[in-house]
Amino acid sequence: MNEFSILLPIIIPLVGAMLVIIVRRLGGMKEGAALLATIFSLVTAIMLYGRELNYSLPWAGFGMEFTLRLYHFSAFILLAVSVFAFLITLYCCSFMRGKSYGVWFYFYLLISAAMVNGAVLADNLILMLFFWEGLLVTLFGMIAIGGKEAFKAATKAFIIIGICDLCMMFGIALTGYLAGTMTISKISMSPGSLGSVAFIFLMIGAISKAGSMPFHSWIPDAAVNAPLPFMAFLPASLEKLLGIYFLARISLDMFKLDVNSWLSILLMVIGSITILAAVMMALIQKDYKKLLSYHAISQVGYMVLGIGTCLPVGIVGGLFHMINHALYKSCLFLTGGSVEKQAGTTSLDKLGGLALKMPITFICFLVAAASISGVPPFNGFFSKELVYEGALQRGAIFYLAAVLGSFFTAASFLKLGHSAFLGKVSDANKNVKEAAPAMLLPMIVIALICILFGVYNHFPLSNFIKPILGEQRLAGHEFAINTTLIVITVVVLTGALLHHLFAVKITGSGLKSADYIRYAPVFRGIYNRAENKYFDPYDIGLKIVNVITKTAWRIDRAVDWIYEGLTVRAVYLFSNGIRSAHTGNYSLYIVWSLLGAVLVLIVIMKSV
Amino acid sequence: MLSLFVLLPFLAIVMLNLPLKTVTRQLALWFGIALSAGQVFVVIFQPDVFWNGTDLLGRFFTLRLQADNLSMVMLLSIGIVTFAAILVGRQTIADSRLRFNFMNLVLLSLIGMNGTVLLTDLFSLYIFIEVVAISSFILIAFQRDLNALEGAFKYIILSAVATVLMLLSVSVLLMAAGDTSFSSVAAAVKNSSSSHFVRFAIGIFICGLFIKGGLVPFHGWLPAAYSMAPAAVSVLLAGIVTKVSGIYALIRLSTSVFGPDSSLNAVLMIAGAVSIVIGALAATGQSDFKRMLAYSSISQVGYIILALGCGTKLALVGAVFHLFNHSIFKSLLFVNSAAVEQQTGTSDMDKMGGLGSRMPYTNATSLIAFLSTAGVPPLAGFWSKLIIVIALWQSGYYIYAFIAILSSIITLGYLLSMQRRVFFGILSDKLQAVREAGFGIVFPACVLAAITVGVGLSFPFIFNSFIIPIGAFLK
Repeated sequence: MNEFSILLPIIIPLVGAMLVIIVRRLGGMKEGAALLATIFSLVTAIMLYGRELNYSLPWAGFGMEFTLRLYHFSAFILLAVSVFAFLITLYCCSFMRGKSYGVWFYFYLLISAAMVNGAVLADNLILMLFFWEGLLVTLFGMIAIGGKEAFKAATKAFIIIGICDLCMMFGIALTGYLAGTMTISKISMSPGSLGSVAFIFLMIGAISKAGSMPFHSWIPDAAVNAPLPFMAFLPASLEKLLGIYFLARISLDMFKLDVNSWLSILLMVIGSITILAAVMMALIQKDYKKLLSYHAISQVGYMVLGIGTCLPVGIVGGLFHMINHALYKSCLFLTGGSVEKQAGTTSLDKLGGLALKMPITFICFLVAAASISGVPPFNGFFSKELVYEGALQRGAIFYLAAVLGSFFTAASFLKLGHSAFLGKVSDANKNVKEAAPAMLLPMIVIALICILFGVYNHFPLSNFIKPILGEQRLAGHEFAINTTLIVITVVVLTGALLHHLFAVKITGSGLKSADYIRYAPVFRGIYNRAENKYFDPYDIGLKIVNVITKTAWRIDRAVDWIYEGLTVRAVYLFSNGIRSAHTGNYSLYIVWSLLGAVLVLIVIMKSV
Repeated sequence: MLSLFVLLPFLAIVMLNLPLKTVTRQLALWFGIALSAGQVFVVIFQPDVFWNGTDLLGRFFTLRLQADNLSMVMLLSIGIVTFAAILVGRQTIADSRLRFNFMNLVLLSLIGMNGTVLLTDLFSLYIFIEVVAISSFILIAFQRDLNALEGAFKYIILSAVATVLMLLSVSVLLMAAGDTSFSSVAAAVKNSSSSHFVRFAIGIFICGLFIKGGLVPFHGWLPAAYSMAPAAVSVLLAGIVTKVSGIYALIRLSTSVFGPDSSLNAVLMIAGAVSIVIGALAATGQSDFKRMLAYSSISQVGYIILALGCGTKLALVGAVFHLFNHSIFKSLLFVNSAAVEQQTGTSDMDKMGGLGSRMPYTNATSLIAFLSTAGVPPLAGFWSKLIIVIALWQSGYYIYAFIAILSSIITLGYLLSMQRRVFFGILSDKLQAVREAGFGIVFPACVLAAITVGVGLSFPFIFNSFIIPIGAFLK
């Protein structure tokens, strides 16, 4: 393993992507090529794990160097990316069968993996931006292959993330200017006044990639239209990993945020609002995928909140939640994909009673749903407890938001599970069968990891997460779980269960268990507006842009008139005047010449 | 032996008119092609015979010939444009007897032009300008129809005025200097700078040249002459004849004989700027292809004179470079107009349209020529205009620079409208039968277009080695 091997995580998926394109006409070969590439990168990631490597190459100059750095944090993300890439490719081998865009999906998937690997390994801000933007392109492509409606969603995603990336670009420029270097590992400063601005711009890039509010609104749209494995691959896992990785890098390494900083409060507020607002939206969804997509937003709140606390326990919790979330959320999306593939729909009012038809999918769903709701002893429980503890130390209000979020998460998953898997089997679903093994295997593996990371939570914590913070920061901190908080959590979860049972009894259906919230006096108005995209920053932005465009158009008309109307008319006026002066009369021309001669002589002889 | 430039065409005329006309009529064309192409060759490769050695003509006459860089550029342009004009003439003049006459006149014109750019004597200069003028009168009236005669007549009338002015001026200067060679006239002008006579002589000589060069308001003859003349003659006339007899003489005299002189420069700049604007505006309203090009010619000549008036070395380099470029792209446009006129039988642009699909070479070369005229990079016309504007700016003539740039936009406007009306759009039913013009028109068009593109593209490489040294003619 020499220093060139650090390039492998980028090169292997890229080569794989080219291979997929080359062999696409040969039946079944494209899946093989994609699987092979992901297996190779998984092996490479495992072999690279635990190593420290640096690789540097002069690049564009002006401080822009092709510098890669492998250390425990990036190696860990690399490993996680490889695992997800492999499992989701495996899943797609069955899911994508018979879909025309399969080739492009594999192509984009592999390129995305390469881009994420590159962004994580990059030790130069410009280089990282290069890979980061590359991911934007593949994101667009992956959504857009879903069809005509998906193209709209893809455009929306592209614009939102593009704007956020632009902010990040500005932040990078500012950071480079302040730090005097573009090398990430050499930047270490406390955010002053200008530094705070730089931090906020970088943060916008990071949390928008992770899908936090207010940069989230493309995710639910994409969930409906994009190919489903895309949701499991990018918004649920890879983008979270990358976004939170970068958030952790900027708030831990590049800018030394501390408890007293207002930036920390800002992060916690963003986190809390994201948790609550997104989960409230999730609660009322009537579509399997859309409900999950809102949770993908909501859970980011926990990570941002955890890192925002600036306390070791919160940061460890946030990072642990990042990997846990990537696991259970991709698992949940994959179960959604199975349901879609087998039952032909993801609309909850058409589903029901699938538990007996698809038992393995149901069990995987159960594990993942318990994880996301924070039921002990699954992995989500432990990471959430750590975030709770950090939040509680910073202020009861943040804790309250987090716990309330948990309550609604649990409630919405009870609703989802109830209406999709329990209840009566509808006529349309009578012949539904269990999904293919290639689709089940990834779900099972991920569900098992969820249990593993829950029961043996010390393993990931001490092997993956704690080294990120380093011995120094962790010194003197114990991560014993606070008994009081556990009790509260259990009470909250029990409350959610009781609430669900009670609501089902009253409304008579699992699907409608949250409807009374939807139509409660104050909430009704808010929800109505939210469903009409009243709060979508994208739509608000579009409206503003519309006004600007119309004004600009008017100005443009006026300018056009000056050029096309006034100027042209003036030119033709002069032109006609001159033309009519040329009568073709000899004597007139001679008179002109003589008059001209007189004028010339006047000027020439004046100087005598 | 510089007099070969004059003697060889003369010899050619003599040989052609020996009593063997059945043979020489076939050969006339090749004489012309050989002479003009040979001239280009001689300028580029500089064989010793032409440039050194005792001058035969000087032994019998008191003629002093001298070739500096300015003359070289002019000889090159003369060679190229005459070559193009002869080829166009071969294609467009059907009658072999008329073609023979045409060749004789072109050779006569070649004698005059070569002499003009090589001479160092005011009176001889006048004589050779008149040689050019006389051959031009006949060439314009060549086809003897009413329009052509009218165009020729206008030219004769105004040329007569110019002749009077110049001859009067030469006689006054002869009195003042005792001699008409450039050096003694220059010395006399310098010594008697306060003399009213001398100033008057300078003024009227300049006016005579203004008429010859067709500057506003001395341009009355020009649109008629250019547009009424036969196609091949328009190429020769617009491309080089007026440039040599008017503009070259102005450059030569204002820099090294009458000047440098501030009030003379002021006159030149005003005349240049007025010509640019009036020419461009007048061209905008034209619907006749050749008439539009004629006005455009006035406007482009204005640039040369404007830069000449600016007087700095860079400006003069720009002026000469633009003179060269202009002779290339303007004769190219006239070649194109010849193609269009020959194939459609009209030069009224309103009756054309969509010819691009039928005449691809003419279309493409016309596109190149008009973009070069309008000063669109990277064509040659862009660079010469750029040099002129930069020189004006450096000398503090911001308003003139502004006029130059603004008129460039108008130029682009009317030439674009020309291109659109003639070549773009839908082909009308009447023009369905139109075909590409013959080899004699397409070939020179391609050569001229290649020169414009080549000079434009290689500009960065030739700027220091060829363009800037042009300024060496300034002493």
